[in-house]
Amino acid sequence: MTDADAFDYEELGLVAGLEIHQQLDTETKLFCACPTEIREPEESTRRFTRYLHPTKSELGEIDEAALEESQVEREFEYLAYDTTCLVEEDDEPPHRVDEEALATSLEIAQLLDMQVVDQVNVMRKIVVDGSNTTGFQRSMMVANDGRIETSEGPVGIEDMLLEEESCQRVEETDSGVRFSLDRLGIPLVEIGTKPDIRSPEQAKEAAKRIGMLLRSTGHVKRGLGTIRQDVNVSIADGARIEMKGVQSLDDIDDLVRNEVRRQVELVDIADELAERDAAVGEPQDVTDVFEDTDSGVIGGALSSGGVVQAVLLEGFDGLVGREIQPDRRLGTEFSDHAKRHGAGGIFHTDELPAYGVTEAEVDSLREAVGAGPADAVAIVADDPETAELAIEAVAERAETAMDGVPEETRDANEDGTSRYLRPLPGAARMYPETDVPPVEPDPEEVETPELLTEKVERYVEEHGLGEGVAEQVAYGRRWELFEAAVETGVDANLAARTVESDVTELRRDDVPVENLTDDHFLGVFDLLADDEVAKEGVPDLLTALAENPELSAAEAAQQEDLGSAAEDEVREAVVEVVERNADQVEDEGMQAFSGLMGECMGALRGQADGDLVSEVLREEIQKRA
Amino acid sequence: MNPGDRVRVERADQTYEGVLLPSTTAENLVVKLESGYNVGVDRDAASVEVLEADTYDVEGAQDAEGESAIEFDDDLPTISLISTGGTIASTVDYRTGAVTAQFDAEDVLRAVPDLAGRANYRGRVVANILSENMTPEVWQELARAVRDEIEAGADGVVVMHGTDTMQFTASALAFMLDTPVPIVFTGSQRSADRPSSDNVMNAVCAVEAAKSDCAEVLVCMHADEADERCALHRGTRVRKNHTSRRDAFETVGTKPLGEVDYESEEITFRREYAERGEADLALHDGLATDVSLVKFTPGTDPAMLETAANGAAGVVIEGTGLGHVNTDWIDTVEAVTDAGTTVVMTSQCLAGRVCDRVYDTGRDLLDAGVIEGEDMLPGTAKVKLMWVLENAEDPARAMREPLAGEIQAQSRPWT
Repeated sequence: MTDADAFDYEELGLVAGLEIHQQLDTETKLFCACPTEIREPEESTRRFTRYLHPTKSELGEIDEAALEESQVEREFEYLAYDTTCLVEEDDEPPHRVDEEALATSLEIAQLLDMQVVDQVNVMRKIVVDGSNTTGFQRSMMVANDGRIETSEGPVGIEDMLLEEESCQRVEETDSGVRFSLDRLGIPLVEIGTKPDIRSPEQAKEAAKRIGMLLRSTGHVKRGLGTIRQDVNVSIADGARIEMKGVQSLDDIDDLVRNEVRRQVELVDIADELAERDAAVGEPQDVTDVFEDTDSGVIGGALSSGGVVQAVLLEGFDGLVGREIQPDRRLGTEFSDHAKRHGAGGIFHTDELPAYGVTEAEVDSLREAVGAGPADAVAIVADDPETAELAIEAVAERAETAMDGVPEETRDANEDGTSRYLRPLPGAARMYPETDVPPVEPDPEEVETPELLTEKVERYVEEHGLGEGVAEQVAYGRRWELFEAAVETGVDANLAARTVESDVTELRRDDVPVENLTDDHFLGVFDLLADDEVAKEGVPDLLTALAENPELSAAEAAQQEDLGSAAEDEVREAVVEVVERNADQVEDEGMQAFSGLMGECMGALRGQADGDLVSEVLREEIQKRA
Repeated sequence: MNPGDRVRVERADQTYEGVLLPSTTAENLVVKLESGYNVGVDRDAASVEVLEADTYDVEGAQDAEGESAIEFDDDLPTISLISTGGTIASTVDYRTGAVTAQFDAEDVLRAVPDLAGRANYRGRVVANILSENMTPEVWQELARAVRDEIEAGADGVVVMHGTDTMQFTASALAFMLDTPVPIVFTGSQRSADRPSSDNVMNAVCAVEAAKSDCAEVLVCMHADEADERCALHRGTRVRKNHTSRRDAFETVGTKPLGEVDYESEEITFRREYAERGEADLALHDGLATDVSLVKFTPGTDPAMLETAANGAAGVVIEGTGLGHVNTDWIDTVEAVTDAGTTVVMTSQCLAGRVCDRVYDTGRDLLDAGVIEGEDMLPGTAKVKLMWVLENAEDPARAMREPLAGEIQAQSRPWT
């Protein structure tokens, strides 16, 4: 096993690119008037089942990825909601391209320094895994040829696509997969970089930069699952791999490192196999070998009418069990392919005897397929059809192992490794969406949004916020509220604290801050600007509003008795506190200040301005000292 | 520069390389890029270089490779597949971007491999038109083709038809043919070029229905939005009631006659039907083509009726409620019937029976010579009147009697 940190990426010829998928926060979906709202499966109002069948592109070709997908005949169940319509159900033609989504994509094009195409053509990208009710994803190329800067040099942007989000996968059912229609049709931009990335760190930096640019528009969705990164990786002797569904930016560099390592190991295995004159045999039935097996997996399959299929891997001994990524072996890759065809997995001789398979069984298995000491054997136990398909898939993957790294699409695992998903899709899966006429966009109409990085600078310079606070506000969800507050005359630091740290702290205290609306905040700022509420009263006021969202800020302030106490009331309360503690004041003088300050604020229940209280308290202590 | 050429298009700083597509217009060159995406480039602003001519046969792209090998199996019934065009047998025309009918019946077998092994198939193309372009002449041609197919030994006939006017053609065949075997119309609401097309299930269920014991003219389409069951509607009682849903077709005034379960292939019927072999094959394909359907709505001038009736053999009025028109129309109705035109009243309520004996307007209409169209669908009544005027001794009487399941003697609540 090689050490990933020791790789010289330049020497290995690492080439990486990114595909960033970002959901847009538009009023309606891309091709219908439904809201872009995510629902819980329990809220669904109807369900129905469908099948999909692959079709030819307008150039007469069937896509390989689509074909493999369709060989697994499956029934798809869809959950519909009171927020979805016949368009998502593929029971009504799509409406025209949503103007808000197109305008946002043009803004993004501008931020990425891209050329907008003259005429946008909506395409159908064939996807028959059920994640789209139509069997295709509607997608259009909006712009090409942009660039972003990174500390390791510029990274070109190949293209930007505007497309519809697919269905959320809810769960596997006995007969297929259950999907939810709420997510289907939410506008999504896909930004593909050129293969200009040369190190794992640069990959992460580029992804972060693009993420920042996207958020600068103020029109992208936030939160888990609203942005996904695909990473394309190859090394000089390897092959192009598309890794799907990276949810966290922080994983990108690890994924690239682990993929480089996988490719290095696979190239090494191929070299070794060539030296050993390796070959892959024809799959054969070895059910007899396991007739009396104690292995739960195999026994279980056999007792329900299954068979055991085996394939002889000549010259593979020791290599099937070789680790190519943390805790993943060449055998794991074989197993991924078997699983793809419905099998639970495989066993191979590099890991046997184990799992209830005895040494004697391994010996008879080797004998049955004619395996010598330098050879390995892989087996699959399942129902006859699945076992046959799965062992074929294993044999095929073993063949490609002799050539090195196969081109494919992989799924990112949470631990920074990845697993086989499907063949790389080709151009043949694209054909025109004839139900939607082409659009001629006008990039002139778009204004360039302020970058979040620029916003941070402005907050520091113009409003005197600290760098950290400025970043918190600019990258947060409520910078527009912050700016509105400053506009009405609220102190910038107070406004920043209100929209960010106050909310964060209240959330920690289990206050339902998700109920707070823009109007709530604006009302609070109006009260602050007019000195009707003291800044110390803000957390209590927000709490009251979160718990009673039907109230206005003024009503909540009144209900909670949070009106800013006038100086008379403050003095009255302070005098009371000072007199109660007369002895202490006499003994300690000004030393008593901090202790009494807390007591005063408590007595005023946060209704008074702290500066005022402290001023009055000082005066009163001085009088007595 | 022709569609199918590999081209390089330069426009300002931008270069696009790909295959030139037929959807190119006077304003925009449409290029398919390596990625598969199409982009339109302003023709005036672009300079084009042909890199390689004819890299793709764009015109022939949808043609199948080789013949479909169809083997004859003595144990299977013979089903005749007749294509008239429409979405079930259509593909995308990439010149116009529209969906057009390009397949013949053989292609349908290739396009719907799931049909294999269910029957021996005979293929036949009667027309290749969108169903809005259907005419009574094509109905007649189709009826003759169906007769020929049954004579040639078909155990059932499946007619693939565009959905827009399927109910009219199905009605026409129901009146024109006495059939000993099932004649099943089917189509699709989602074109065959998309993976989610309803054509596969509809075609499979239609073939199963054509193998069944129900020797009637049926329409077989999705029973609901799921790919689970097809409904079997009587051709004379069915109506397309939605523009786009898979289950657009509904039997009006009662539940569908039967259902086909897609997975189990089981067929169930709710009511009695004409059984296989009961009738002797006969064709009566005469049709009076000068028959109109006139819809009355508030403000419609009686001149509309005059124009429609002008010397014509028949007019069906789609009136309001129980079968009414504005009383201002009554003199015109009388003049029209006096001139020898048969006038039949139906209702735009669609469900329920016409009764012109309840209100004065109705009684006046009866006095003016109007025939009550019972609970017939207006469209069906029009087709029936066309047929009746050529084939019945007493058209007025025939219009009020059920000939092909178009009239229900009893109105029973069904919902």
